[in-house]
Amino acid sequence: MSSSGTGTNAPPTGTTTGEPTIQRQKRGRGALIAVVAVIVIIIIVLAVGYEAGWFKGSSSSTTGTSGCTLPSAGTIKGEGSTLVAPLMDQWATSYWTGSIVTYDSAGSSAGIQAVSTKVVDFGASDAPLTHAQRSSAPGILTIPESAGGVVPIYNLAGLKFPSGQSSLNFNGSVLAQIYDGQLTNWNNTALQALNVNVYIPSVTIAPVYRTGGSGTTFIFTSFLTLENSYWASHYNKNTSWPSGLPGTGASGNGGVAAAVSTTPDAIGYVDLNYAQTTSGIGVGNVQNPSGKFIHATVANTESALATISGASGFSLPAGSGDWYNVSFLNSPGPTDYPVTSLTYLLVYQDLSSAYSTYTLTSAKNLVDFLHWAITTGQTWSALLYYVPLPTFIVNSDNTTINSMTFGGSSIPVCIPSGGGAPG
Amino acid sequence: MESPTPSPTSSHQSPLARRVRRWPDQLFFAIILAFAILVVAVAFAIVGILAYNSQQSFRVFGWQFFISSNWSPNGQVFGALPFIVGTLLTSAIALLIAVPLSLGTAIFITTQAPRILRTPLGTAVELLAAVPSVIYGFWGVYVVHPFMRATVEPVLHEYLGFTGLFGPPGGSGDVLTASVILAVMIVPTISAVSRDTMAAVPAAQTEAALSLGATDWETTRVATIPFARSGIIGGIILGLGRAIGETMAVTMTIGNVDRVPDSLLGPGQTIASLIANELLSNTGPLQISAILECGLVLLLISLMVNVVARLLVWRATRGVGGRVV
Repeated sequence: MSSSGTGTNAPPTGTTTGEPTIQRQKRGRGALIAVVAVIVIIIIVLAVGYEAGWFKGSSSSTTGTSGCTLPSAGTIKGEGSTLVAPLMDQWATSYWTGSIVTYDSAGSSAGIQAVSTKVVDFGASDAPLTHAQRSSAPGILTIPESAGGVVPIYNLAGLKFPSGQSSLNFNGSVLAQIYDGQLTNWNNTALQALNVNVYIPSVTIAPVYRTGGSGTTFIFTSFLTLENSYWASHYNKNTSWPSGLPGTGASGNGGVAAAVSTTPDAIGYVDLNYAQTTSGIGVGNVQNPSGKFIHATVANTESALATISGASGFSLPAGSGDWYNVSFLNSPGPTDYPVTSLTYLLVYQDLSSAYSTYTLTSAKNLVDFLHWAITTGQTWSALLYYVPLPTFIVNSDNTTINSMTFGGSSIPVCIPSGGGAPG
Repeated sequence: MESPTPSPTSSHQSPLARRVRRWPDQLFFAIILAFAILVVAVAFAIVGILAYNSQQSFRVFGWQFFISSNWSPNGQVFGALPFIVGTLLTSAIALLIAVPLSLGTAIFITTQAPRILRTPLGTAVELLAAVPSVIYGFWGVYVVHPFMRATVEPVLHEYLGFTGLFGPPGGSGDVLTASVILAVMIVPTISAVSRDTMAAVPAAQTEAALSLGATDWETTRVATIPFARSGIIGGIILGLGRAIGETMAVTMTIGNVDRVPDSLLGPGQTIASLIANELLSNTGPLQISAILECGLVLLLISLMVNVVARLLVWRATRGVGGRVV
């Protein structure tokens, strides 16, 4: 007898007496299946409907008490820029008990997306909103929160510097030509001309850029657009890296820094914080309009802000205005770092119309945090290689934050003392 | 047909008593039925939502979407070919590397290893499956890729470059490195399933082969592998399924470039890594839609792999089964 097939043809040996009961149970189940299926479907529909806001009644708003109160944990959610993530993480840790603010560093475009779709209380972006983004999500305020420098970093063994120079010199034009594939070897005449007497090994350049929409990419491509006409006419400035160019992509400032530090012959661009805190990479100098090669520091990015804002006729847009063309690149100051940019918080001006779930208390919590970030929060900046906001920006930020409303009326201001300053 | 005592419950109780007795059963039935419906509903909802949200992209690009290799967020033009190729290519290479490794391991553990080593060895291999994929990614970025780039890839390029498969190495990630990582990730899956089926081969089968004077290799070839074939194929397909959908480790090692890879040593992008890289940081609704359409393609590829797997297993088992030859 074959091992398979046993029993398949054998007559059923079960008892016949039990059959009616089984039959009845089976029959009863038809109705039960229908009932349960209907219940499950109703639950799903209700859940979907709840999400879609079908049952949105008049939300009772609890009136908050005056004065600063400790917000409950996780009440303020932010998302966006990886450039500013180290500072933001520090803020989140230092503000009140350290559990109030949560920040997801998914990239500037993700931050814009998140605040536009109202899934977070604030977005963070190094790139200002475009006209299309402003019109698709109206009512968003732009609040400069900090400033930073974007620097070229490289991983190149065998460099030999003459005394007096310790890292490679770049300018915008050479960077553009490296990134658009016109310069493919580290040992090229254009780079050599900027680095006289430096021995540069002859190896293929491995460019690393950012994947997805990135404010750091926006700042970097804005600089390349100013400095190189070929780049300007072919690729321009954008948050997404142009397609079809050589190199490999990495996610976030941290991803680029890691990729450059582990890839021989690589070049990348990251915020000053990442350049300073990543080991195993060189941090390039960038030529400014005065012809000087500047090694980025907090001091010379700060002075770039000061020089440009000190020029006659300079003014910042209103918080509700258009920031797309605000630029602190290529400051004319002789010792200023040229690739400097503000980075922004994005919040809704009228919180009650933007968020159906908001109460006056949650509005106050958000506004309190914004006030804290542009004042006490700034004391952390320099320690983490960011530029503390100059007074004139703090003042304009204050005006913007005070223009925020809940239910049409302004939100009581309260600068919390619960947040800690360093040291 | 000698029915013993007729079950006393059925006919001698009042209907009410029966119903009372039955309600826990019915409750249990209702609850598990609800779970089952919920799970199926979630599966359908995922497909439905993907399809619904990819409409915009499909309307703009049509069928061209699947054969266009131009993915340009700045130009708002999207084609999925680079990612389809990237997904299939990395999975195929991963299988090419992982299948011999896994089968060798499984055969060694079930037939050749000293008996006291079998369980520890098997457990050790299965432990690889417990390593989170981000750890594989980390290992890929800091160990495998630097090694591949400095040692393996220059050699491949120099001696096999003429084939066109191995271009100049370079960059922070490449298709081959990602495939090698994937291969290591799917070895435990393939090996564990194969090991179980090989262990189930009746001793009579192998003893028969040995008694005919077959060598170990011949015994494995004619007795063990044919018997365990369906299990082995099943394991390979499970591994393939994991390779196709793997996201984190691939994103960290493949280089994330939105074009069809020029060579195995060049960078690429899989559908999974594309979604990880660009879904959240998109340039607008059309890109979201295009990315979700890629997600739908990934789902279909996985589905097809599963169907093919079932067919293969069905074909392999038909006629072979447990029959003693």
